[in-house]
Amino acid sequence: MSLTDLMSMAKPNLELREKFLARLSGRELVNCFQCIKCTSGCTALKLLELKPHEIVKLVNLGFVDELASSDIIWTCVTCLKCLQRCPQKASPYHVIMALRNLAVEREVKVPEGYLKAVSQILESGLAEAVQKVVTKKMETFDRESLKLPKIVSPKESFQAVFMKIMEEKQQ
Amino acid sequence: MKVAVFWGCRILTSQYAYEMSVRETFPKFKVKLVDLSEASCCGDPVKSMNDLAANYLAARVLALANKTGLDNLLVPCNRCHFVVSEAKNVMEKNEKVGQKITGLLKEEGLEYNHNVKIWHVIDFLHDFVGLDGVKKVVKKPLKGLKLATHVGCQIIRYSDLGRVDDAENPRRLDELVSALGAETVDYAEKLDCCGANLMYSHPDSAFSLAGTKISALQNLAVDGLVVSCPDCGLMFDFKQKDAATTVGAKLSLPVVYYTQLLGLALKIEQEKLGLHLNQSPVSQLLSKVSP
Repeated sequence: MSLTDLMSMAKPNLELREKFLARLSGRELVNCFQCIKCTSGCTALKLLELKPHEIVKLVNLGFVDELASSDIIWTCVTCLKCLQRCPQKASPYHVIMALRNLAVEREVKVPEGYLKAVSQILESGLAEAVQKVVTKKMETFDRESLKLPKIVSPKESFQAVFMKIMEEKQQ
Repeated sequence: MKVAVFWGCRILTSQYAYEMSVRETFPKFKVKLVDLSEASCCGDPVKSMNDLAANYLAARVLALANKTGLDNLLVPCNRCHFVVSEAKNVMEKNEKVGQKITGLLKEEGLEYNHNVKIWHVIDFLHDFVGLDGVKKVVKKPLKGLKLATHVGCQIIRYSDLGRVDDAENPRRLDELVSALGAETVDYAEKLDCCGANLMYSHPDSAFSLAGTKISALQNLAVDGLVVSCPDCGLMFDFKQKDAATTVGAKLSLPVVYYTQLLGLALKIEQEKLGLHLNQSPVSQLLSKVSP
């Protein structure tokens, strides 16, 4: 569903909007005057039709629920240009991140890459698994053969704390 | 001097050339790197899922740095540099979150210290060592090389956090390349993103972004592209073939980390700089740097 369809079909939820804005304390979302500097420089605009100014506007109008369920929030490249250039300190980047957090809390579908990263962190502390590298001459190298130091993983007490926070509900 | 170093995930798990070349070149400036023990992810992918958990992970990096007793922390990854810098800002400005995270870190016996200074490779070499300091150790100037730089997104934005270089006109990496005797070019696509963060959700679009930028660079007839972030290295060097397939173009642009280039100018053996690990055609560039 396109964001334009959202506007015509859904009803705004102003209560949720207030709660959501509270998460973004310090970000002057309501001051957005739709100058579109964010969208005109957005890396994800060309390929994925992300329009940050629309997202900010829709939050201001109270369509938080719809945005959290939309695929569009997962198209941001996090290049941070929108935030850098926003004259009103509204920061579409932080709005998109907060919408993603909300989607996760509501157990709306989350791209698998993120889930994999979290399970990898629980396993080894790092978000990625150690890889072997095959060179152009088809030789295989790993940390050991490259004489790189062994990775010392965090102890179990880390996993316990991390798990606890991930399970806790955010305000 | 001793400097703590937090490598993040990508460098430690696949971008070995970056790690090797930093480990080889920094001692030449009398810098001894001290790895953080029991380090975890900086929190970047977690930012999309749970902001508090992400800030906890990032604050943990600073707490581990504090444990080393050193005042300076080198973070060679752009994403990690941003995530840790933003968490530092949150810990300072948001008392409630700050207290909560401080408490969580205590459960692991860690203590957060706000005074740890965060450096990236670029500002450490440019501002701390200084361009003259870099020039002084050059043994073999890289004369005749014409290079483009890609500084990446997250070490230059957003300025309120205090970043490594100017958000719209970053010059430091170019100046560092010039300090080695090579020439750099300006180009319209300089601030275009490598797309790495989309690998989580839209890999084809990520390859498309990387491929489009490499195509543009090939039209400039440069000898290569210089990067200083493991994500950018992954996209432009490791995944150059995938990017070529996605954009339907023949791509053959040598891509090197700045510290690899620096190592060449310091006459460090190519293998010690991990130059055999690059997946892009670096031999094209190396043949122009006669031994």
